[in-house]
Amino acid sequence: MDTIIRGIVLYLFLMIIFRINGKRALVEATVFDFVLLLIIAETTEQGLLGEDKSLTASLLLIITLIGMDIGISLLKQRFNFFEKVIDGGPIILVDKGKLLYDRMKKERVDEADIMESARAMKGLKRMDQVQYAILEKDGKITIIAQDDAG
Amino acid sequence: MKRHNNELEIDEDISFERSTWKIQRVGWVIMLLIVLSAILGFTGRGGLLNVNKQTVTSTDGTMEIEYERFQRREASSELKITLKNISTPSPTIFFSTDFYTKQRIDKIIPEPEKVEAGADGIVYTFAVDAPNTQLIFHTKSTTFGQIQYSVQRPGSSAETIKHFVYP
Repeated sequence: MDTIIRGIVLYLFLMIIFRINGKRALVEATVFDFVLLLIIAETTEQGLLGEDKSLTASLLLIITLIGMDIGISLLKQRFNFFEKVIDGGPIILVDKGKLLYDRMKKERVDEADIMESARAMKGLKRMDQVQYAILEKDGKITIIAQDDAG
Repeated sequence: MKRHNNELEIDEDISFERSTWKIQRVGWVIMLLIVLSAILGFTGRGGLLNVNKQTVTSTDGTMEIEYERFQRREASSELKITLKNISTPSPTIFFSTDFYTKQRIDKIIPEPEKVEAGADGIVYTFAVDAPNTQLIFHTKSTTFGQIQYSVQRPGSSAETIKHFVYP
């Protein structure tokens, strides 16, 4: 029973903590983000299993975590609001070529991040070629180019 | 699906996102407070303030107990007992049941000469050759929540020790 409680508590805790961190958490995937992810994984493992190194504990834990995942995805499917609370939604950062600085500041995104996405996704050279930039709920920035941008 | 500027199909709910930003900032403050309380010592295992180290002295002044108020489950902790001006070469100390049922006694330094179990606790007898001596109990809590037990030397007051154990 102990293992299952540990699994549920850590699942919920990680969900809340990453939601608090914001959409851009760990998606920039710099080397340091990767290292941080490894450290968090290592720390979580201790909390999940504790001193119990038995196969039973591992199996129970995997079932608990996958079960939580299924349960939450079912709830998300059933209730739209629940999905919004868990995942958030997309946010327009550039609207018809106009940068919305207050939103960018709140989501800790700057022009360089938007241009990085613009280059990577559309091969754009300048900000004025960006018609829309959207911060998606997974933290990635998607770009829609101006119609005449080439 | 909503339509933005009559061309972009997107389910943006900016008022919801604004409240998310507010909650996020509240969350950051809570995280900061948790770290601060840990630095001050409220989560156990040391700390800048001495909120964690507690000391009680028995009424006759022969026994001083230093213990950690906040412990963590399965993390090692120390209970130090200082005996002062004792007249006997084999002092005894009584601990009530919770001392050894809710914690694991990993090591006692020095090792007791004799251990006797009674109906409501355990009695350790030590061999000492000085009137002032220090005993150290290395323990690990096996449960979480409140642990409470009493420690007593014969002919003196029973001192109540309370630990709060984090899971």
